[in-house]
Amino acid sequence: MADEHMSKKVEDMIKAKGLAISPDRIADVVKQVMATMQGGPGDSSGGSASPKGGLDARKDYPLANKRPDLVQSASGLKLEDITLDKVVDGNLTFDDIKIKPETLEYQAQIAESAGRPRLAANLRRAAELTRIPDERVLEIYNALRPYRSTKQELLDLAGELESKYEASVCAALVREAAEVYEGRDRLRK
Amino acid sequence: MSKRQKRFQVLSERPVNKDGFIKEWVEVGLVAMDSPYDPKPGIKIENGKVVELDGKPRQEFDMIDTWIADHCIDTKVAAEAMAIDSVEYARMLVDINVPRSRIVQMSVGMTPAKIVDVLKRMNMVELMMAMQKLRARRTPSIQAHVTNLKDTPALLAADAAEGAFRGFTELETPVGVGRYAPMNALSILVGSQIGRPGVLTQCAVEEALELTMGMRGLTAYAETVSVYGTEQVFVDGDDTPWSKAFLASAYASRGVKMRFTSGTGSEVQMGYAERKSMLYLEIRCVMLTKGAGVQGLQNGSISCIGVPGAVPSGIRAVLAENVATVLMDMEVASGNDQTFTHSPIRNTARMLMQFLPGTDFIFSGFSAVPNYDNMFAGSTHDTDDYDDYLVLQRDFQIDGGLRPVSEEDVIAVRNKAARALQEVFEELRLPPITDEEVEAVTYAHGSKDVPDRNVPEDLRAIDEFMKRGGNGLDVVRALAKHGFSDVAGAVLNMLKQKVSGDYLQTSAIFDDDFVVLSAVNDPNDYQGPGTGYRLEGERWEMLKNIPQAISPEDV
Repeated sequence: MADEHMSKKVEDMIKAKGLAISPDRIADVVKQVMATMQGGPGDSSGGSASPKGGLDARKDYPLANKRPDLVQSASGLKLEDITLDKVVDGNLTFDDIKIKPETLEYQAQIAESAGRPRLAANLRRAAELTRIPDERVLEIYNALRPYRSTKQELLDLAGELESKYEASVCAALVREAAEVYEGRDRLRK
Repeated sequence: MSKRQKRFQVLSERPVNKDGFIKEWVEVGLVAMDSPYDPKPGIKIENGKVVELDGKPRQEFDMIDTWIADHCIDTKVAAEAMAIDSVEYARMLVDINVPRSRIVQMSVGMTPAKIVDVLKRMNMVELMMAMQKLRARRTPSIQAHVTNLKDTPALLAADAAEGAFRGFTELETPVGVGRYAPMNALSILVGSQIGRPGVLTQCAVEEALELTMGMRGLTAYAETVSVYGTEQVFVDGDDTPWSKAFLASAYASRGVKMRFTSGTGSEVQMGYAERKSMLYLEIRCVMLTKGAGVQGLQNGSISCIGVPGAVPSGIRAVLAENVATVLMDMEVASGNDQTFTHSPIRNTARMLMQFLPGTDFIFSGFSAVPNYDNMFAGSTHDTDDYDDYLVLQRDFQIDGGLRPVSEEDVIAVRNKAARALQEVFEELRLPPITDEEVEAVTYAHGSKDVPDRNVPEDLRAIDEFMKRGGNGLDVVRALAKHGFSDVAGAVLNMLKQKVSGDYLQTSAIFDDDFVVLSAVNDPNDYQGPGTGYRLEGERWEMLKNIPQAISPEDV
C-alpha cells in the first residue's frame, strides 16, 4: 500500500512539475516521498528527530534562505526570478507567485522534523488542495458546513477529490465528516 | 442607608464599580476554572483508538470529542501522560530543569479534563512562569488593530504605516461597512510596508471573503477563524471541526499563514455552556485546533472578555487558556484586545499577565488608532497609551514589542503612506484620494480629523476591482509605476513569502529583510536565568531611550 501511495505521489509531483525531469530529480523525489511515509499524524517525535532523508528543520529552514534551490512557484519560477522588473513589464502573472505542492511537502517535512506531525498533516492536505481552483475550494468548504450536504453528496465530493484532483487525504477527511455528521444529525435533510 | 459613609460614597463612584460582577452560577456556565460538572480526567484506548474520553464512551461522543480523540490525542503517549500526577505535571511546567520539549511531548497525550486539572493547580505567577518557558517563539511580539469609523483608506494606510514603524509585526483591520473589506485590506497592505517592510496584514471578515482576499494576495495571514467548545455553539457558528480543518488547509494551500480564534466565555454568551467551566470548554478549543494542524490560536477570551472578567478567578482563567495554547506547542496571540473594564488599574493589571512573561503576540491587538475609531468595539490600550507602554517597557526592562519614535519620523511615514495609496488608487481606477485627505490623515489623531468620502462610490469601485480579478500584483505594479519602487519591492516580497511557505511554520513573523523568525529557527530556549529571550544590547539601548528622558549632558 505504501508503494502504491508513493508512486501516485511521485506521479503527482512529476505532473505538477511539467516537462523536463532528469532521472536524478526523480530519484530525489522518490527519496523524499519515502521519507514522508514514515511517521503518521499520531507520531510525536518531540525534539529534533528528523525522518530519514527528509528535510531537517535545523539545516534547511528557512527554505527561502537556506534551500532556495528547492523552491519554485507553481509556474516553475525560482524566487530570484520573481523580480519587480518583471512585474512592471507585465511578464509575471498571479500564477507565477503561487505556492507549489512540492514546497508544501518540504514544509511538512520541516514541521515533522521540528516535532509537529499534525501541522505536517495539515500542510499535506494543503498540497493536495493546490490542484483545486479557488472557487471550487470555497464550494467544498461550504459543503462541509453543517446541514449543507446529504451523506451521498459528501461521499460524491470525496470521490471527486480522489478521482479529479488526486486528493486522497482530503477525501478521507470528507468521508470522515460524512460519518460523523450522520451520527450527530448534522446532514442536510 | 439614610446616611452614607463618605469613603464608601467615594468608592461607589470609582470606575471599577461601574464594571459588572457576578457570583459563580454553574448552571449557565458562569464559572471560570472549576465546575462540579467538569468531567474527571480519564482515557481508554483500544487498538490505538480512543474509546472513552474523560469518562464518556465513544458512542456518546459529540463532534468535538470525536475530533479531539481522533486528531489531537497521541495514543502512543496517552497512557504515560495520563499517569503523571497533575500536581507533578504542573510543577514540571514551572521547573527550569524540565525541558520544554519533554513537556509538549506529554501534553498531547492528555485529555481536556486532565489539562484543566493541571492548570487549575497553578497560581498567577506560576502560570506566567509557564508562559515564559513554554511559548513557542523565543522573541515576543505584538499585533495591532488598524481601523476607523469611516473606513477612510488613506487614514488606514497612514495608521498602518505608523503602527508598523512603531514595532507591531502583525496588523489586523476589520470593516465598518462589510463591502469595504478589500479596500481596507489593500490600504493596510500598502501602509504597513512603508512603516516597516515585513509586517504581516490581515482583514477580519466572514470566512469565505477572508479566504478570497488571502488567495488574491491582498492579505498575508488570517485569524478570524472561530472555533467553540460545545457542539451546539460550533454549529450555530455555521461550522464543524471538519469544515474548519478544511479551511485551515485551504489557507495553507495558497501559502497563507493562519490561526484559529477562540476564547473563554463564548459558549456562555451563546447560551450553550453545558454547565462546564469556561476553561474546560476553552481547552477543547485548544485541542481541536491542535488536531487540525493549525500552527496557532488567538485566545484569551477575546470578544467575550466581559464574561470571565465578571466571575471569580476569571482573569486567571484567561491566562490559563493562553498557557494551554503554548502547552500544545502552538503560537498564541494572547488577547488584551477588547475593553472590559472602566478601571484603568484593572485594565493594565490584566495586560501585565501577558506582558511580563512575553507571548508570541502579547496583544491581538493593541489599538493602533484611537479607541473611538476601533471597530472591534475598542481595545484595552490604544494610541493614547503609547507612551505609557513605552515607559512600562523601560521600567521593567521588558520587550513588549514597541519602540520609541520621533514625531518627525511618524509624520514622514504617515504622509508617504497616504501619498503612495493616492497613486495606487489612481492607477487601479479607484475613487481619487485628494491632497486634502493626504494632508489631513498625515496629521490626524483619528477619523474625526479627516474629510468624509463618497461611500457608495468607494464600494462600487472596490466591487469592480474584485470582479475584474484585482490582486496583489496590481498593487505592486501601481506602486512601481508611480515612483514608489521601494514599497513595490516590499509588497512583492510579501507576496513571495507565499511561494516559499516558510511563514506557514509555527509562530512566524518577519524581520525588516523578510527573514522569517519562527518557532523553528527561533525556538524558545528558556531554562531559567541566563537563558531565553533577554532584552539587552542594541535593542535595550533603543527601548530605554524614550525622548522624554533627560540626559546628564543636558542638566
